[in-house]
Amino acid sequence: MAQPLLQHLCQVLYDSPFGTSIRESDNAFSLIESVHVLSITLLVGSISVLDLRILGLILREIPVVRIARAVLPLTWAGFGVMFASGFLLFWAEAAKSYLNPAFRVKVVLLLLVGLNPLIFHTTVYRRVTEWEREHRSPWRARAAACASLLLWSSVIVAGRAIAYF
Amino acid sequence: MFSPHHWFEALAQSPLGHYTQTSRWAFAVIEMVHLIALAILGGSVLFLDLRLLGVVLRDESAAAISRDLGRVLLLSLSVMVLSGIGLLSEEAMKCYYSPAFRCKMALLAAAVVFYFTVHRRTAQRADTRTVSLSQRAVAVISLLLWLGVGVAGRAIGLL
Repeated sequence: MAQPLLQHLCQVLYDSPFGTSIRESDNAFSLIESVHVLSITLLVGSISVLDLRILGLILREIPVVRIARAVLPLTWAGFGVMFASGFLLFWAEAAKSYLNPAFRVKVVLLLLVGLNPLIFHTTVYRRVTEWEREHRSPWRARAAACASLLLWSSVIVAGRAIAYF
Repeated sequence: MFSPHHWFEALAQSPLGHYTQTSRWAFAVIEMVHLIALAILGGSVLFLDLRLLGVVLRDESAAAISRDLGRVLLLSLSVMVLSGIGLLSEEAMKCYYSPAFRCKMALLAAAVVFYFTVHRRTAQRADTRTVSLSQRAVAVISLLLWLGVGVAGRAIGLL
């Protein structure tokens, strides 16, 4: 039976001894899932501090770059943990995830949530020293911060919805 | 005064309870709100305690950071309590008898009391030049208490 290549790869991961052992173990999947859910606070929680600063809602006396320098190492650490735990969860359920609409939406949202800071850092952030002390950042920066908060909330929603499909 | 058992029964049989128990999506949507608020709450607690530990923004006033992030903390905590009541209404009696739920409530009470008393006072008194041992202790206790709430909450669904 012919399968799209991507679906075939997901099936290979799903059938593998490693994937099967996580899926069928009493504790491994729950433990990895717990790490994944609780690490949301590290990843999304930290970046939301920066987003709220850019929106001019908190810590207005502190320049944006200083907040960014404090926040971004935490965000990257959180991303590392989320990616590793998320990949293991995906591996265990790969064949099912391929067919799951909530999972597909989540992957698309994750790509968008990565694109947003990429655009932000190569455009308005380039001239951050001009506006970092303002209480009110330029509208493009505020748009990026808003997009960040909305996209991350959507990722969380899509992630929770996976179990319902 | 009615017993806790009575209140949990009342919640289960309330209009809210009936709605969450019968609706296909209500529990999931309320849980999504709970998770988003968790991210914000966790972020504010983490950032605040890292400042107390002197790990981030050491040159900035801990009192000012505590004031602003404290507002975020209280707002997100309120959302978590309200959504938490919504979640509870779907399975009130199961939670009432759940050791994980009771543990979570005890840790939550401890974390909130600790925050309103010791934590706020310590942050307001902290200066930018030194990080005292008591500051570090307060930050570590706060992180452990809130982490405990999160872990216990996760355990509710698993045990």
